[in-house]
Amino acid sequence: MRRPLHPAFCLSTMAAVPEQPKLPIKRSRRESRNDGGSALSTYGLMLPMLVVLSLFFLAPLYYIFMFSVALRRFAPTDALAMLNGELNAFTTELWGKLVNVGVIVQLPGIDFTVPTMVIALVFIVLLILAVSGGKISKDRGGWIVGIAFILLLAPFMTIPAGNNLLRVMSLSADGDSLRLFFKSVSMAMTSSVTAVIIAIPVAYFLAFCIGKSKYTWLLVVIAPFLTSYLLRVFAWKVILGDQGLINSGLMAVGLVDEKAPLTFLIYSQFTVIVVLTYAWVPFICLPIFLSFETIDRRLLEAAMDLGASRWQAFRKISLPIIAPGIVAAFLFVFIPSIGEYITPTLVGGTQGTMYGQSLANQFVGGAFNWQYGSVMALFLLGVVLLLTFATARFLRSGAGGNL
Amino acid sequence: MSEEMEPKLLNTTMSRRGFVAMSGAAGLAAFLAACGGSSSDSSSSGGDAAADGVTAEEAAAGKSFDPATEPGGPIEIFTWAGYDDSPEEGLPAMWEQYIKGEYESASPLKWTFLEDDQQALAKVASGYNPDIIHPCIAYTQQWKDAGLIQPLDLNLLPDFGGIPDAIKAGGIIDGAPYHMPFDVGFSCLTYDADQISFDKVGGKESWEVLLDDTYKGKMALFSDDVAIIKIGHLINKGAVDPNKMTQEEIDAAKETALKIKPNLRNYWTSQTDTVNDFVNGNLIATYTWPDGYWKIKNHPKMKDRNIKYMQPTQGRLAWVCGMVLSANTKQPGRASLAMAAANTPAAAAALTDDFQYASGQQQGVAELIKNKELIKAFQIDDPAAWAPPNAWFEAPLPNYKDYVAAGEEVKAA
Repeated sequence: MRRPLHPAFCLSTMAAVPEQPKLPIKRSRRESRNDGGSALSTYGLMLPMLVVLSLFFLAPLYYIFMFSVALRRFAPTDALAMLNGELNAFTTELWGKLVNVGVIVQLPGIDFTVPTMVIALVFIVLLILAVSGGKISKDRGGWIVGIAFILLLAPFMTIPAGNNLLRVMSLSADGDSLRLFFKSVSMAMTSSVTAVIIAIPVAYFLAFCIGKSKYTWLLVVIAPFLTSYLLRVFAWKVILGDQGLINSGLMAVGLVDEKAPLTFLIYSQFTVIVVLTYAWVPFICLPIFLSFETIDRRLLEAAMDLGASRWQAFRKISLPIIAPGIVAAFLFVFIPSIGEYITPTLVGGTQGTMYGQSLANQFVGGAFNWQYGSVMALFLLGVVLLLTFATARFLRSGAGGNL
Repeated sequence: MSEEMEPKLLNTTMSRRGFVAMSGAAGLAAFLAACGGSSSDSSSSGGDAAADGVTAEEAAAGKSFDPATEPGGPIEIFTWAGYDDSPEEGLPAMWEQYIKGEYESASPLKWTFLEDDQQALAKVASGYNPDIIHPCIAYTQQWKDAGLIQPLDLNLLPDFGGIPDAIKAGGIIDGAPYHMPFDVGFSCLTYDADQISFDKVGGKESWEVLLDDTYKGKMALFSDDVAIIKIGHLINKGAVDPNKMTQEEIDAAKETALKIKPNLRNYWTSQTDTVNDFVNGNLIATYTWPDGYWKIKNHPKMKDRNIKYMQPTQGRLAWVCGMVLSANTKQPGRASLAMAAANTPAAAAALTDDFQYASGQQQGVAELIKNKELIKAFQIDDPAAWAPPNAWFEAPLPNYKDYVAAGEEVKAA
């Protein structure tokens, strides 16, 4: 049932600046140059970035692409190429090895196999619905966006159901890389969502609940960044170990038997998610904090004056305004986490293996297959770019306001 | 694998939102290509590559080098961390004989470090040109096939005869010696005998204990693909050579390894980490090299514990690593003299005293080892302990890639 809103709650319309008629403004040449319009000076400013980008991003990307379709190989001699099992003529076989895997869907009573391409299409359709649901239907847009989002996110949420997507869908025998990929998405998704949920109250506290010492507190929040990431991971090993802080504490109060410590705390998917969440929370407090800072306090005061509770004010005013910040924060965690390498290596154990580890192993480890490693890297890059691109569209289309 | 491999610390990158628009289209194209590529099949393969290094190598066999006529310049040794000469740390002067010799001033030794065999092979193949390299013996064939190494001149290696034939066999290809074994050691489980019992697996020490879910989550293995598969094979077949596995046996070993996996805490990448996990109570059994066992056993926290180094009925795994001579060295004679220094009984004894490893060189070494306890602990004076069926040395694997692929699948599953 929809409850009619009190007219005064439609603050967004109040806040919107009435559009001003556009008047042709005459400018002198000098003025327009000072406006930053000159192409040369603009490119001049961008030059360092363009150089770095082309040297260290585009050029390697070109080589990775060439490796991925076997137009290039690592081995300098044919003899070594044979040892490495490298292919030396154009082929899409390498890509097939990654993505041409049947997805076996196991539902109670029925088992069937779906080609990966169909699954990929479903994801893309869901992504499009999530991005532009508002355009498809004026009335039901919010519902479309919401449902598409839930369908996209829910299968990947790891805790507490375990990797439920992987339980329902298993991949045919050769699908190890893709399975690892889904697992990594799942772990990254869980840690990103958890990190965002933890960061929002912290940022809220920083923005609204303290006055002068705001920036001191901000410094305190981001203080963990002053130590090395590796040290922080090792610190978690001390805390979560079988005789670590948590287990010995629980043993001391008698909640846990000394002979049976909680072993899931260390070397598991859980550990990887905990460490990733911990590592990113301080970092993403920043964008969310900045979004809160942009809120015009008068809007909140007006809401309170008109009888809104704090929760209502937060939901109707703050949340829509900070939504872009939340989405940005989510991406900040998600993108680096999905390709994580060092955290699962140190605390992941046998169950917490991630895609990034397998990828690294193709380049510097025992598997040593640069061509297949390139395929894995490009696939990851492609998915991340697609997600980032979709998010950018989502934010621009203003669908964030529907949250 | 003679030294621990520290995890490679790759920094994760921060997000680059600004580049979205620019690269969005490219990313989309790549993703679509990924999906579209799935339906096409290809007939291309790498099978037509010719092995061009071989004939040149064969021709070089039996060559002799003259150190006196060679140009000067540093002799680069590409080795595992820890084998450089660091007298300031009181570490062994493994290269003492060379350093005190006549060529040290003109051709001083210089050390660079490798992380694992594959990476070392990749670096040298792509143009890095050290004089001496320190790979494990199983890889000798690959180095030779890639045309990167040349046969040794035994006249410059007077102590080569002190290495038992069984140990140096893997380094002799087509009758020519390519590999001078240096460090030798076991790879096996270190375990706490008070907590682990072998009653369920026949009462004797056995790799099968890894399948015993009583110890679920309390055991660990090394993340080496080949070792994971070899252990599976030893469990399946008992004491048979794990270097000669058929594809069916590799598949069967993979299945066993998959059954072991849920019982394992992790596949470690750094021995220091697993030693720490053991002494901190996270593990009661883990795969270690002799030095790992020694560190655990002698750790203050393990004082009252009965720590043992397993001698399984199926046999221990064992490695042999050593020196090879680069095919492109300008100073093969002097490099050979440097290798000769590492091959002396004194250098071998230092290897045991400082690293708890055994050595390829075995003649007259036992008397020189200062810590006699180590001889007993690792049966250094007992050749039977170092031969099948008690120990299975690494050997060249023609189907190496199949072992690795299976091991990768186990880790990724």
